[in-house]
Amino acid sequence: MPNLLRTCVKLILGISLCAAGSAVADGVDRVSFELDVQPVLSAHGCNSGPCHGKQRGQNGFQLSLLGFDSDFDFAALTQDARGRRLFPSSPEQSLLLRKAIGAEPHGGGRRFEIDSPAYLTLLRWIEQGAARSLANEPTLEVVTLEATNFSLQPNGGAGLKTVASYSDGSKRDVTAMTTYLSNDDAVVSVNADGQVTAGELPGESTIMARYMNHICVANVVIPRQDPLDPNLFDQLPRDNYIDDLVYEKLQKQNIEPSEAISESTYLRRVHQDLIGRLPSAAEAKQFLDSDAPDKRERLVDSLLNRREYADHWSGYWADLLRPNPYRVGIKAVLNYDNWIRQQFRENVSYDQFVRQLVTAKGSTWHNGAATLFRDRRSPDEITTMVSQLFLGIRLECAKCHHHPFERYSQNDFYQFAAYFARVGRKGTGLSPPISGGEEIVLTTDSGTVKHPLTGQVLNPTPLYQASHMVDEADPRQSLANWLTSTENEFFAKVQVNRLWSTLMGRGLVEPVDDLRSTNPATNPQLMDALAQDFKDSGFNQKHLLRTIVLSRVYAHSSIPTPSNVTDRVNYSRHYRHRVRAELLLDAIADVTETSANMQAMPPESRANQVWTTRVDSIFLDTFGRPNENQDPPCERTPDSTMTQSLHLMNSRELDKRIRSDEGRAARLANKEGALTSNITDELYLAAFSRYPDDQERSYANGLIEQSDSKRTAIEDLIWAMINAPEFSIQD
Amino acid sequence: MNDLSTDQRRIQSIQATRPWNRQANMNDTTRKSFAPAAFGTPNSSRRIRANRNCQGITRRDSITLGLGGLISGGLSGALQATTASAASGKLASLPREADACILIWMDGGPSHYETFDPKPDAPAEIRGEFSAISTQTPGMHFSQLMTKLAAISDDLAIVRSIRHDQGNHGAGNHYMMTGAPPRIPVGCGAFVSFHPSLGSVISKEVGAPEGIPAYFSMPNMSRSGGPNFLGARHAPFVVPDDPNSSSFRVRDVTLPNGLSEGRFDSRQAIRSEVDRMLRITNEAAGDPALAADEFFSQGLQLISSAEAQAAFDLHSEPGPVRNAYGRHPLGQRALLARRLVSAGVPFVTLYHGGWDHHTDLFNAFESKVPPFEATIAALIEDLKQQGMLERTLVIALGEFGRTPKINDRGGRDHWSNAMSVMFAGGGTPGGQVIGATDRQGYAAIERVLSPENFVSTVYRKLGIDPGQMMYTPDGRPVHLVSDANPINELMS
Repeated sequence: MPNLLRTCVKLILGISLCAAGSAVADGVDRVSFELDVQPVLSAHGCNSGPCHGKQRGQNGFQLSLLGFDSDFDFAALTQDARGRRLFPSSPEQSLLLRKAIGAEPHGGGRRFEIDSPAYLTLLRWIEQGAARSLANEPTLEVVTLEATNFSLQPNGGAGLKTVASYSDGSKRDVTAMTTYLSNDDAVVSVNADGQVTAGELPGESTIMARYMNHICVANVVIPRQDPLDPNLFDQLPRDNYIDDLVYEKLQKQNIEPSEAISESTYLRRVHQDLIGRLPSAAEAKQFLDSDAPDKRERLVDSLLNRREYADHWSGYWADLLRPNPYRVGIKAVLNYDNWIRQQFRENVSYDQFVRQLVTAKGSTWHNGAATLFRDRRSPDEITTMVSQLFLGIRLECAKCHHHPFERYSQNDFYQFAAYFARVGRKGTGLSPPISGGEEIVLTTDSGTVKHPLTGQVLNPTPLYQASHMVDEADPRQSLANWLTSTENEFFAKVQVNRLWSTLMGRGLVEPVDDLRSTNPATNPQLMDALAQDFKDSGFNQKHLLRTIVLSRVYAHSSIPTPSNVTDRVNYSRHYRHRVRAELLLDAIADVTETSANMQAMPPESRANQVWTTRVDSIFLDTFGRPNENQDPPCERTPDSTMTQSLHLMNSRELDKRIRSDEGRAARLANKEGALTSNITDELYLAAFSRYPDDQERSYANGLIEQSDSKRTAIEDLIWAMINAPEFSIQD
Repeated sequence: MNDLSTDQRRIQSIQATRPWNRQANMNDTTRKSFAPAAFGTPNSSRRIRANRNCQGITRRDSITLGLGGLISGGLSGALQATTASAASGKLASLPREADACILIWMDGGPSHYETFDPKPDAPAEIRGEFSAISTQTPGMHFSQLMTKLAAISDDLAIVRSIRHDQGNHGAGNHYMMTGAPPRIPVGCGAFVSFHPSLGSVISKEVGAPEGIPAYFSMPNMSRSGGPNFLGARHAPFVVPDDPNSSSFRVRDVTLPNGLSEGRFDSRQAIRSEVDRMLRITNEAAGDPALAADEFFSQGLQLISSAEAQAAFDLHSEPGPVRNAYGRHPLGQRALLARRLVSAGVPFVTLYHGGWDHHTDLFNAFESKVPPFEATIAALIEDLKQQGMLERTLVIALGEFGRTPKINDRGGRDHWSNAMSVMFAGGGTPGGQVIGATDRQGYAAIERVLSPENFVSTVYRKLGIDPGQMMYTPDGRPVHLVSDANPINELMS
């Protein structure tokens, strides 16, 4: 230790400059690796995903992502690269410091200044011998935010204060060393110092604070400033608990909900949502002309019993489950698709549906559900899928490192994966691209999952609520019991959130399958109530859908009130969205009375019966469908694109169908003695699910009557309707 | 401390609040603006935070500019506007050598022996039936059928030393089209996508004049030519029809056959009467009808712009030019590609199947190669004559090369230890061969290069930093290319 003296002098000089210090011995603040050094690395982004925290690190220097693995990071700093990162004999020459202050070329640029507190912390740690830990070092126990609920004025601000508590009872203000993230920057932003700034508009957001592996959440609300008529909410009609809970929140936020929609808008909306097709002209007429006071209830009940219900809702699960046919074989894909549709035709309860999938056994040629295990072959592959689909927990991160926004570690991941350790297979495995063989999925007597780093064999353990676990001979049965238990807090929630999102245009949680404390529901009470209702109904999807579509909230107009125009999360109005690709293509089939000619499908098939994306369709590709050849399959996006507009406008196929001799235009034009105004009514009812108003009727009548060719006029009207936003956007 | 998930949520929040802006690349810009922030260089991130590019034009403005360009300044005006607006973030600092790339995909994996890497001194069972011919460039030899390309070899650069370890079609295609090896083993015929393809990235980063799709693929997309996490906006615009047919029109961007302009106009008039849906004009409300309106009016502009329509109109090409390209689907697609590039499309894939010669290779080549290479040569010569070659990169390649020993069936099998890739234009110094295989063509031994180097070269030529970080929708950072070194010999 030739430099000991010099080091000591520096140490003493350094003390006053240093904010952080934990153990005090010999009158000198000792720098701790875990409590001081790692927070510096986190606070300056060194161990973040794009930099040294990513898998394989950056330019040979790798840290554990966000510092979740102290031993790993210590080794990386002191031993890897032959220890050249630290230079004990001349600490300020250490590569770690020279890179960080930009004195050596550094891809990440200058992270902090020479002699800044961060710099001095690292310097002192090296000077003190770069120890892994100090004698009697306390551990970090809890991190808290001093305040967690903020109500701000537009453009107002507030400061977060983050406090770390240690096992020796000491506390530290770590505000400046904490990472802050707002869930919605446009509403509320937060800077690196924990300073929160409200946007101009009313709204709400959640802010996550992360200090080392501890995460806290603060909620920020910017309520509307103008009060509403105090009697407004007392006078609003309510039909069920959804209305109560939504209005309760709106009242708190001073948001007036939109008006109720007309019968025709309701008719169209509920058809699109429940069975994925438009009402026919005759159906629309019948409903609109009816005076029955309970006509909505009757409509909903009849829709839920229509055969189209199964095809429509199967499509949502097919999006999530459908594997790559080049991988598992086309026959397995078809069987899987048939199995899904069968569940919806029989209205199998959701818990049964999940149980059958998770415990699937038998031949992929006989039990479609077994295809899940033909596609996902290793316990880790199936784990990420099961946790995301049925719990709304995204475990993918924890496969390789501690989850950055969650409590889950790699250990949690592989313990959960161990439920699938004994999935066995016999028969013909994958042989892409045909993979035509039959494979049998079974439960074997042996099979384990090991922790990838420690090699330790792990016992199957649920992610939480382990006390609810009942062990069965087949671990997958145990897992299914736990998953589908009414005690499981996530199981019902993620599914009701999906259904709610499909019907309402936005999930209570977004993304819909990303439930976590740092991403709370916009209306937690409503989420709880919907989940409870779903459980109480025996996980009956039809019951839940019925409850939602018969609420007042579902029947809100999309036209805003002065106070709700900016509301995007509280369901004070209906959120317009483009309908999904299949629905649109089927609507065109209905309006033109021609069917799309699709490969591998019987004639007259509908787009929502397509069972693989190997069935070519420029239309469906243009309007978006998940591509199971992609990994991960990209989700269906409601994006509008230029190519969509161009396709509706100019597609030769669509034009042919509009002008087909077998189509609606030809039929109407050739109908002897048809009244023009009946033709107009039929077109409006078929395309827009409503009668034309007087102005529209007289325009269309005039067009049809004055045109040289009645048929041309009708064709052009159909083209115009298909190309109007009213056709493709749900109002 | 802008971490990746801020980026993600920011994107979501923007999507949630302003869906009209999605197509308008708003989230792309946001993503770009966040990539440097995640690296932690605050200056670069702040610069374009408010969705502004270096010139201070917002994307929404630039749409207006694009339309104005189409009306008044013609397509070139619109092109300039887009080019300016696309040059944002750190991309601006990279010089762009080429404005467009035409990629000829020889699906199946062409033999390197019978194209650009003949081995006349190898034993007969390796050498094959063809001999080597001299080219315009002293010391550069091609296989005997490549006569027209040999005659313009001073414009060509041949890389003989790209190799990889993915010897089946699905995986080889993925590696060459994306620069990323497949993450899990991929079957031979598989169509897989784990990473955005060249065309999709260029669609996102370079873009095209408003209304024109930025990534064309004809007559289909290659196996891994999709956008992956970049989303449907950057999927290839596939034109499946045969441009050699007399009734050919580019789908969707031109009027359907048999529909007169007059009738199209009257349909517009009817639509404006029929369209009665109330628009919620406050952008904060996120009415998707506003986006639909914007795209519809851009579509109309595209249809009514004589200059844009001319770009798609293959029939206006003089007969001799059409003949020079070859009166067959590939020839006419190549000609269409040239027209699309001149209209501002930055990436076109010409998919050409049938290069998987496990049997009867030599007979097959006798009939397949002459029209093929004539088309490529015609394309390069035409680009040169039009003054476009300097700014247009032309590439021809397949998944891999072929086995040295000719098999019992007179064919060659898959071989990824060696392959030849042809480059021309876009600032590529011509008349050169880069790298070499051994004397018998078994493996690349000199200047050994990877698919990553290949893809990085294309990105660098188009002014895209191959080392940049991209973000998946769930916030995971992904390098565009893991080895961002381009092939320097190909750079100008």
